[in-house]
Amino acid sequence: MSKSRLIKTGLVLAAFAVVPAVLVGFDKGYYYQIATLAAIFMLLAASLHLVTGVAGLLQLGHAAFYGVGAYVAAILGADHGVGFTVGLPLAGLSAAAIAFLVALPTMRLMSIYFAVATLAIGQMLYLVFLNWVDLTNGPNGVMLFSGINLFGIEIESDLGIYYVVAAVVAVSILVLNRLSHSYYGNALRSLREDDQCASAMGINVTVMKIQAFVISSFFAGIAGALWAYTTGYISPNDFHFSQSILILTMVVVGGLGSLPGVLIGALLLILLPEALRSVGDIRNIIVGLVMFGSILFLPKGLFGEVSALNFARRLLGANWSNDEGQKGIGWK
Amino acid sequence: MTAILELDGLTRAFGGLKAVDNVTTRVDHGELFGLIGPNGAGKTTLFNLISGFTPPSSGEVRFKGEKITGLSAHQIAHKGMSRTFQNLRVFPNMTVFDNISVGALGMLGVGPFSSLFGRSSHAKEISERSWEMLEKVGLADHADDLAANLSYGKRKYLEIARALAMKPDLLILDEPAAGMNDSETTELARFITGLNKEGLTIMLVEHDMGLVMGICERLVVLASGRKIADDVPAVVRQDPGVLAAYLGGDEE
Amino acid sequence: MLDPYILQQLAIGLSLGMIYALMAIGFTLIFGVLNVVNFAHGEIYTIGAFAGLMVISVFGPPLLVVLFIALATGALAGFGLERLAFRPFRRFSDEASLKSRAMREATLMSSLAMSIIAREAMEMIFGSQFQSVDLAYLINKPIGIGPITIVNGDLIIFGITVVMLGGLQWLLKKSPVGLSIRAVSNNALGAKYCGINTDRTIIITFVIGSAMGALAGILVGLYYGAIFPSMGFTPGIKAFVAMVMGGLSSIPGAVISAIILGLSESLSTSFMSSVWSDMVAYAFLLLTLIFFPQGLFGARRERV
Repeated sequence: MSKSRLIKTGLVLAAFAVVPAVLVGFDKGYYYQIATLAAIFMLLAASLHLVTGVAGLLQLGHAAFYGVGAYVAAILGADHGVGFTVGLPLAGLSAAAIAFLVALPTMRLMSIYFAVATLAIGQMLYLVFLNWVDLTNGPNGVMLFSGINLFGIEIESDLGIYYVVAAVVAVSILVLNRLSHSYYGNALRSLREDDQCASAMGINVTVMKIQAFVISSFFAGIAGALWAYTTGYISPNDFHFSQSILILTMVVVGGLGSLPGVLIGALLLILLPEALRSVGDIRNIIVGLVMFGSILFLPKGLFGEVSALNFARRLLGANWSNDEGQKGIGWK
Repeated sequence: MTAILELDGLTRAFGGLKAVDNVTTRVDHGELFGLIGPNGAGKTTLFNLISGFTPPSSGEVRFKGEKITGLSAHQIAHKGMSRTFQNLRVFPNMTVFDNISVGALGMLGVGPFSSLFGRSSHAKEISERSWEMLEKVGLADHADDLAANLSYGKRKYLEIARALAMKPDLLILDEPAAGMNDSETTELARFITGLNKEGLTIMLVEHDMGLVMGICERLVVLASGRKIADDVPAVVRQDPGVLAAYLGGDEE
Repeated sequence: MLDPYILQQLAIGLSLGMIYALMAIGFTLIFGVLNVVNFAHGEIYTIGAFAGLMVISVFGPPLLVVLFIALATGALAGFGLERLAFRPFRRFSDEASLKSRAMREATLMSSLAMSIIAREAMEMIFGSQFQSVDLAYLINKPIGIGPITIVNGDLIIFGITVVMLGGLQWLLKKSPVGLSIRAVSNNALGAKYCGINTDRTIIITFVIGSAMGALAGILVGLYYGAIFPSMGFTPGIKAFVAMVMGGLSSIPGAVISAIILGLSESLSTSFMSSVWSDMVAYAFLLLTLIFFPQGLFGARRERV
């Protein structure tokens, strides 16, 4: 088990290290942008994987927490001169704190009701990004010129920035991997499979769900900060509902519950539209098609441990059997 | 003998219907206790009242002398009560080992930080317990199989093993023999008796009279939510009320 | 006497609420029959608006014809949607009830995918900017009533919604089709055993619901004079909120909630900037989910 984990770790690190070597060959800033974007979305997908793929909570507002991280990093950097080393963790913690606040009342909601609640929360945060002009500069977005300053060293080259992003993403993904492939991950999986049964095993379902949601949002916040530092400009549209759906599609396509699958899903959905750029801006339509196709033809995703549909069924196994007959009775 | 579980005037009404009506009884330490009744007698509701899945309309449940009504299911589990489900609720997309580990880790507790930094203090214990239970029910060879791929009978044992991994003081089995043939039921009876011999208090909720009559030391019979008998099997078997409730007695 | 400004806002809110109601009915009908959330409902609304726009710019027929075309296009789109995003997942339904939670979440995602595809396709064809509508068709001619000024669109929207609601009520209560819709909604399997063609009933439900959604789309397009591919997203969410507030499968509940929502949004602009008015709907949604899981009118009896 540890051996295979070592191999996996090695593969992830190698991929991150080899990519720039190839990119140097092309010597084009554009490729760095794509590589950085891909790395950031891999982290977003991996963080959503924890809450949706492993713990089985359908989260439709992930991009908003990504946005919280980005705005915290950008505003702290632009208005208060807070640099990368402090801004990055603060961005993650802010996203986690907001996630904690919204999780408290919504965690008891089941299934699609939870999904819809996260959608509403995502939209509310989006409205804040868009309309709280004093804080977020509204639709004009925030410019961040400071870039990445690592312990006094200004990192300016494309390669350097890429390595910083890749390092943060790699460490975060390893943490998420560790969390989802441990006894802790087993506890989260048991919620996905049958939360009522898990509670009979002595698991505090609500607390576990809140933890998963908060951890996932923390890493979304980290991804947001990386986005802000690398692009130097953020605007509300970067964190629109459609971005949440993009991330969700990565998780569904890659396979619910499978981290490698999810990472490949992220790469696919970032690189495919870029490769097809000549055809026009069709990223979103590809997202829609890929999502539809994978639900219809690949219910388990590319590598999933759970079929998207089976997952839903078990997730709700709680009152599966007494659904129709005892509508008025149900438990609780 | 001291009581491990006491039910006191337990009632649960759904609308006008009393699914469980004023049930009072006790289970003693080390006992192999049976709760039976025809379909719709309120067994599962009573079971859900005991394990905290349904709040009672009135009455109370005491476990090890402590009132547990109003506690949530996971709190009751932590007091040392463990249950299985009537309709086989293993975690299908997890391996057999992982299934059992959930029973152990639920009780021992596992947090995100302890599993990140170094060996969790409980990790070793979780693993040992899980293997112990796997051996006990004879599923060690299937440790890495998905639970969904096990046969029906093996999944039954997996569910029991998962409950045992909680190291409970009281194990409540909800219709464990449902869907089993005669020889499987006999083997299950032997297994349950064995667990009881090791000192575990067991409450068996059953529809099938045969299994319960054969192995239980004491029985409570429910009909239409009310307790109609509470005695040793030999007496219950002769009870005219019980025979009437089962419409002509135990043909099973 | 109420402040004229408040009265004015009430009139606007009522129109808004009527539009939400038209859309919420579609949601509610579909939820009632299949227990699924149709995420593509907002795109049906957009399709209705674009269908009307195209008819106007090509033929320039009378308003009533435009509305009928939108209605018909919506019906067709609803039929197609059911075929593509819902029918294929019927195989995941639970044998015992013909509805299932697996199907629910699968169709939630498939309809979401459909909505993305439809919206993006419209953007590719028409571009993402506002399409202007022939001024002659706009329904914003002012009418003064005492201290306030409404537009003829307010009256038209009110009238049409009332007619549609009445028609729907008649359909559900008096016609055989309505009977089968109510039967499938109550107990799909039972209805099937009674010889009701459930597949056909489901299609009819989608057709009726989508037709009303598309009608709402063209009405709003003509009311504001702005038609664009992503116009359906926000009203779609609002209508969904109304459905949840109304108790998920209660049509009167959804209609009343939609009107409450429209009025509150419109009144909220008197004490906060209108850019925040969307916040009202999201707040309503969260509060309803958390505090009134049964819906405001207690129609739903299900753990959420």
